[in-house]
Amino acid sequence: MNFPSFPALVTVVVLLAGLFFGSPFVALLQSFTVADGFSALLNRQVLVVVLTSLITALVATGFAAVVGTVLGYYFTFHKNSSSRWLKTFFSLPLVLPPSAAGYMLLLAFGRYGLIGAPLYQAFSVQIMFTMAALVLAQFFIVTPLMMQAASSAFQQVPASLVKASHSLGASEYRTFVKVLLPLSKPVLVAGVITAFARAVGEFGATMMVAGRLKTIPIMIYVKAMGGDAGVADGLSLLLVLLSFTVLLLVNMLGERR
Amino acid sequence: MTLELNDVSLEIDRELILDRVSFKLAAGQSLVVLGNSGAGKSKLLEVIAGLIKNQQGQIRLGGQGIDMLPPQERGIGFVFQDYALFPHMNARENILFGLNARNASEEEKSKWLKAVTAELRIDHLLERFPTELSGGQQQRVALARSMVLRPEVLLLDEPLSALDAASRERLALLIKKIQKKYRVTMLYVTHDHNEARFMGDQVLVLDAGKVVQKGSPAEIFSRPNSRFVAHFTATRNIVPAQIVKLYDTEKALVEFFGNRLMSTSFPLHGGEVWVCLRPEHLDLVYGDTARKGANELMPVNRISGYRISQFIPQGGVTVLVELEKGGSRLMVFSSSRKVELKELVIGDQADLVVTAANVHCLPRQADDIYCQP
Repeated sequence: MNFPSFPALVTVVVLLAGLFFGSPFVALLQSFTVADGFSALLNRQVLVVVLTSLITALVATGFAAVVGTVLGYYFTFHKNSSSRWLKTFFSLPLVLPPSAAGYMLLLAFGRYGLIGAPLYQAFSVQIMFTMAALVLAQFFIVTPLMMQAASSAFQQVPASLVKASHSLGASEYRTFVKVLLPLSKPVLVAGVITAFARAVGEFGATMMVAGRLKTIPIMIYVKAMGGDAGVADGLSLLLVLLSFTVLLLVNMLGERR
Repeated sequence: MTLELNDVSLEIDRELILDRVSFKLAAGQSLVVLGNSGAGKSKLLEVIAGLIKNQQGQIRLGGQGIDMLPPQERGIGFVFQDYALFPHMNARENILFGLNARNASEEEKSKWLKAVTAELRIDHLLERFPTELSGGQQQRVALARSMVLRPEVLLLDEPLSALDAASRERLALLIKKIQKKYRVTMLYVTHDHNEARFMGDQVLVLDAGKVVQKGSPAEIFSRPNSRFVAHFTATRNIVPAQIVKLYDTEKALVEFFGNRLMSTSFPLHGGEVWVCLRPEHLDLVYGDTARKGANELMPVNRISGYRISQFIPQGGVTVLVELEKGGSRLMVFSSSRKVELKELVIGDQADLVVTAANVHCLPRQADDIYCQP
């Protein structure tokens, strides 16, 4: 079918989309003033929040990198009749509303929760409303991301290389370490970077388990609702810059691959 | 070591890939598995190597069952069609991969690396990465990677299919030389009948996972047991015919489109047959020597025809001849220089000569379809 005005239509859609997606960024830059923004960011309370966010996100990403890679490996190389169901189950946090995820974590790890109650009774350990809870929430949300990245990384390695490794006498572990990991490194690193950015930006689930603790997204919410535009602007800009850097890095890794 | 398969079957996603495959291959011998793509050739190798679990039947190596052993404990080398060299390792690291996995000593690694790379003439390429090597060089590295482990059995999955004609010939000779020198039992998979004829002490034809014929290359190529095998082994002339007279169990007279040939290879019950005439078994004759059909006294058959087209590939001449009687066409291949030297003129009279031993007849069903070359 001939549609002569199609290129014009594409241009209009691209322009409208640019307008829509660009407007929040323009608005943020318009609202942000360098002097107010920096003084708000250099406040001790805000620095603690930034550090809390970065530390919990780093720890959560570290755990997610290991567990997600192992899950990705399992679902790529140990497929069986239940794999599809299991993989769907482990991917749920990707589409689950984060607030629901946070609520479920409360039910499981809260002081009266399924796992939280025996932990508290046996060791007087309380997870909820601590840094550990923040890590747990971020880990819950970003592990499926890492699993998917690892899965696609391993699928890109030609099957004959894995077979060749086994036929040459390498065990499954040696094949994983010497063949799969080196060949999947760029995709795995991109997955880790993306997972870290997602962990730093996690809001819904973290909010449910944070108690009085605050991360950058929670602080933005609190300050924006409280009318403290300086901190909200500064932290939002920080997240925008972090996200931009992450995407740039991931794209660069993609090109190298 | 002797490799023996007894009724090995494989099913993937409810599709039968291998159907009760059995054969016995003596130590140091080579077996070529010949078949179309999708016939199950590669899967057969993977089952033997332990890369796919054997579901049914038995695989024995040196008399011992190896079905329960993981690939690394089977002593079987595998050379893949796409070479399967590790792209992040140079040639040396690729070749030593298996020895490192076995925690071999530096002395042992050095000794075998030197010996095998010299043999395969790749000792100057060891620092290069796979992307810096030609297809032939990559395949040599892949072969070296298997050979340094001194396997009891070497499995090769279409190792020459991705190479150009010149590299293919060189590597085929090299593989054969290495196999004989190290006396390794070799299973070689291909869909190329020329490779099958050259590489194997034995040939096994696989179709839809089933062994349809096995035997020496001479048997498979001269005495195919079905039209499929005849066609697959490049018997270009497969003509519908009838056995008109059975002399004894040794000789029969067959007739196709009015031409008569004496055959010494035919079904004893007679009747409708396919006559299989390999192009290289037919000779072109010129001149006025007596042109006769077959009779009881004449072991060599001669049939009259006219040359209608010719093609001169490397190493010979392929001529299409239309027979005087019946208009049927037969393809003749001659590697002889005399045919090349003779001035080839389309439309010339050209008679065909074939010995009775090379007229092979297969039973024919009434609904079999005939396609002229």
